[in-house]
Amino acid sequence: MTSSITSLTRESGWRDFVRQSVNQLLRNPLVVSGLIVIAAWVVLAVVAAIIAPYDPLAQNVNVRLTAPNDVYPFGTDELGRDVFSRVLYGARVTMPAGIAVVVIGSVIGTIVGGVAGYLGGLWDEALMRITELFMAFPTIILALAITAALGPDIRNAIIALVVVWWPPYARLVRGLVLEVKTQEYVTAVKSVGAHGFYTLFRTIIPNCIAPAVILATLDIGTAILTFAGLSFLGLGADPSSPEWGRMVSIGIDFFSQWWMWLFPGLAIASLVLAFNFLGDGLRDLLDPRMRKR
Amino acid sequence: MSFQLYLLRRILFVIPVCLGITLFAFVIANAVPADPITANLPQSALNNEEIIAAFRARWGLDQPPHIQYLTYLGNLLQGDLGTSIKTRNPVAEDIGKFLPATIELATVGIVFGIVFGVAFGVISAIWRNTLADYLVRILSLLGVSFPVFVLALVGLTVLHAQWRWVPGPGRLGVLLDDPPFVTGLFLIDSLLAGEYETFRDALSRLILPGLVLGLYVSGIIARITRSSLLNVLGLDYMRTARAKGLRERVTIWGHALPNALIPVVTVIGLSYSNLLSGAVLTESIFAWPGIGRYMFRASTSQDFPAIMGGSIVIALIYVGVNFVVDILYYFIDPRIRLA
Amino acid sequence: MKRFVVLLAVLIALFSLGMAQAQDETVLIIGHAESTDSLDPARGFTQTTGVVNKATYETLVTFPDGDASEVLPLLATEWTISEDGLSYTFTLREGVTFASGNAMTAADVVFSFNRLINADGNPSFLADNIASVEASDDSTVVITLAASSPSFLTQLTNSAFSISDSATIAANGGVDGEDAATADAAEEYLNGTSAGTGPYILEAWEAQVETVLVRNANYWGDAPYFDRVIITNIPEPATQAVALQSGEIDLALDLTSDQIAGLEGTDGISIYRGPANIVHFLLMNANPDVGGPVSNPLVARAIRLALDYEGYKTLWGGVQPGTNLAVGLLGAYGEDQAIERNLDEARALLAEAGFADGFDITLDYPDFSFQGVNMNTNAQKIQADLAEIGINVTLNPAEVQVALEGYRAGTQGFAYWFWGPDVLDPSDVLSFLPGGKVASERAQWLPENAPAEINDLIAQTGSTFAAEDRVALFGQLQDFLQESGPFAPFNQPDIQTAFASSLQGYVWHPQWLLDVAILSEGM
Repeated sequence: MTSSITSLTRESGWRDFVRQSVNQLLRNPLVVSGLIVIAAWVVLAVVAAIIAPYDPLAQNVNVRLTAPNDVYPFGTDELGRDVFSRVLYGARVTMPAGIAVVVIGSVIGTIVGGVAGYLGGLWDEALMRITELFMAFPTIILALAITAALGPDIRNAIIALVVVWWPPYARLVRGLVLEVKTQEYVTAVKSVGAHGFYTLFRTIIPNCIAPAVILATLDIGTAILTFAGLSFLGLGADPSSPEWGRMVSIGIDFFSQWWMWLFPGLAIASLVLAFNFLGDGLRDLLDPRMRKR
Repeated sequence: MSFQLYLLRRILFVIPVCLGITLFAFVIANAVPADPITANLPQSALNNEEIIAAFRARWGLDQPPHIQYLTYLGNLLQGDLGTSIKTRNPVAEDIGKFLPATIELATVGIVFGIVFGVAFGVISAIWRNTLADYLVRILSLLGVSFPVFVLALVGLTVLHAQWRWVPGPGRLGVLLDDPPFVTGLFLIDSLLAGEYETFRDALSRLILPGLVLGLYVSGIIARITRSSLLNVLGLDYMRTARAKGLRERVTIWGHALPNALIPVVTVIGLSYSNLLSGAVLTESIFAWPGIGRYMFRASTSQDFPAIMGGSIVIALIYVGVNFVVDILYYFIDPRIRLA
Repeated sequence: MKRFVVLLAVLIALFSLGMAQAQDETVLIIGHAESTDSLDPARGFTQTTGVVNKATYETLVTFPDGDASEVLPLLATEWTISEDGLSYTFTLREGVTFASGNAMTAADVVFSFNRLINADGNPSFLADNIASVEASDDSTVVITLAASSPSFLTQLTNSAFSISDSATIAANGGVDGEDAATADAAEEYLNGTSAGTGPYILEAWEAQVETVLVRNANYWGDAPYFDRVIITNIPEPATQAVALQSGEIDLALDLTSDQIAGLEGTDGISIYRGPANIVHFLLMNANPDVGGPVSNPLVARAIRLALDYEGYKTLWGGVQPGTNLAVGLLGAYGEDQAIERNLDEARALLAEAGFADGFDITLDYPDFSFQGVNMNTNAQKIQADLAEIGINVTLNPAEVQVALEGYRAGTQGFAYWFWGPDVLDPSDVLSFLPGGKVASERAQWLPENAPAEINDLIAQTGSTFAAEDRVALFGQLQDFLQESGPFAPFNQPDIQTAFASSLQGYVWHPQWLLDVAILSEGM
């Protein structure tokens, strides 16, 4: 796939390609349904305060563990909080956290990869060995160790995930930079006297952005899942926070009160599935051999 | 390239990675904020200089960090990972106890994953763009999109609590003793000891967590199998085979699948190393005494020798499995041999 | 396909083979969330240690099986107390042998008590008041106290005062001299086996996995019913409930009230419900550097007025304790004398303390379920309760041992803990008064911060013996705690246990929770 992504940086420019691809993507029913679901979640996150029937933190122990009914469409949890309102508000926590991980991770990865590819030589060696080192650790184990060091909360969970998220971007962008670096317009920019990092950030990296963005899109689903997983383990959100993964974690104690964990669970699944539909469509599009058929 | 040369190159690549892993783990573990002294000594001993000094010396806390690291590395080479603060056992011994549980679970998971994944992938590729293909693709996307902890809870609620088809969490019923330790894998040890009830119980308890992990992995495997098979089916020699009049089924099984296997093997290897290292969530729901849960407990209780030892061992397994996949590559992919 | 069918048939055959195996010994299996770090009587001081050591060791005196209404003889058959209340003379039971076969003598009592005093273990403070322990002959022991104490005999029922086998322990590195804190090396041995006179012997303890007890062949009393008792560690209450339903365990000690409700009416499962003595409370460090805003007594009082006491009762049942003196102990303030929620008054107090707009604070607590009470749930409710008076609480759950570290070191500013009485006597509340363990060490509330008349009252508790005088005295101290203390006790949950209906004789005990030796099995 990397090679097909690389083709996007050719001088033909990627704007036309994007226009074409968008048209093609929108003909794919999976992609369209994915986009609709993502858009719906974004809208729900924005208007949560308006449509949520209750305060997601308001407790009422007298109605605790109520099964879904007219008053509480998704039932209530162990402290009598409205699960429906909590799921709505959860879109404000879990989704942005996952996206933040990917955005920050890809930016760091792009910079590291860009610098490595551009400077080359020893710098390249050193930075790439470090990158490989980070990749040698399995995601969740590294995240566990880091949250142990930093202490559990949402910000630290995001930091921990960023630490494990950037290396693939560094690898990808380094490869692209090596390729772009030799192209004529870059040598032209350099010859007019633009100095090192200016060339890198103004000329080279913008030409490598598209593939990184695509990789990021493919990645968001996994990032949301992993973040929710950390929260599930108690290493992310505060216990009372309406974070989806955290909400599912009480299911271990209350698995017969299925509504408490199933609805937030479905919320995670629907959002991740939507991102994966989108990613799947992108993948098909990018694989030239697939495109032929 | 000869096999020896290939092997040598892979090994030379792995050594610095391993060294880096230990250094990295050491740095992270030392960033744990807890003061190991107040965490581990009774309050009454905190005023006793003698006890504190003895504790420092035992853990090498009285030396500068780089010496601590070298000491640690030296001990590591002799298989000594230090002593866990939480369990008070040598970390190496703990890992020896917890790792087999994870290996057993990950293996069952990957077997489920391969069976479903390859089957789905083949179905999807053969009947490309039919309803079956779409269903399988959606199903495999569902598999990778559903959080394992939700799948696990659904499984426990329906298959265990409602229908009583499978037993609950845990590796073995509380009535049963662990089989005598040979491999640490209960399925094998129980058979060796002739404890069939233990075998039956251990097997039945592997089904649900194995399925949960397997479903997740099968989504990834199905996707790769499909696209790789489609690639191969489109290649010229397949057309030749068809032209020669071979029946469609023979073409797929005899010619296409083996060639399509190369990327599939990679993904299986990767997934297996992921299961071995990253089944923390599944292990914590199923109260599975595996390495993931051990690491989780170590990191919440700021047990730095265990965090360090655990993450080194897991990372080494991760690197090791990928190393084996690389070696397998040599035999599967003719291009490497020709290069 | 065919091969698969054959494989399946083989597996099914294996399954049915396994089913046929029979059990021939009587085994009791208990599901429990283990909470101990030591089974050495001189060092372990948790509920789990209490349950295990009740079965493997014995004390000089004891309580009745079901309550703490009177002190009864056990290893001591009789005792006399000197006029000044300082000297206790115990006559030991004849013919008692340890699990090793060694006879129990006065020397063992001296060794056990001195080892407890000098080992500097978690329960050693219980023996702080003991000045000396001497054997006047093989079957007579004289214990001299530093100050008279109305609760000394009650205290002796604690498993920390277990009589252990001095010869065996000494042979395994045990020391009872003043250097015992560092020189004693018997803990590891005692974590692997027991050296007591109890009806059971500790066969194995695998931390966080299981504890196995077997019948003590040398037991002097009537043999207990079960040949073997297995206490299996099941930290998750839900897993305990499942294990009980499937018959894997006979008794589940840590179910939540919701799970108990779910089990009610299930065939073959019985429920035990009754008052217990664990008090859940908030700690507000009195040292301003540590506690910040909550070190202000006005704020502490505001917090006491802000908690939704009825709500906690809805969650866990039980009662609202009036103070940190557990309801049920002599003179304890119950619900009639307890603080009532009053948000307006709470807000007024906050304003008076200079926090009209509230403040931010972190609540430390262990991420733990104890006897079915999920502390995470309570912490979230505390957070919501205090939000109503403008206090913005950030929850900081930590693994139990990690949280305990801060608690014991007195470095937690605002914390949520629970307390089970060390001694079933009103004097237990002294731990929560200036100079006491929790107050001074953990909340940094020191005698010099307390009014002189309160310190006087505290001093009088050692020499006041008549019940009505004690009630009056502890009443004054409880009034003071409600007004000025750095604690907010909010719930004393009921104990709820579920067990297989075939199990006979189950009763919860306020001191040792469970005596496995009185259990049996019926039809």
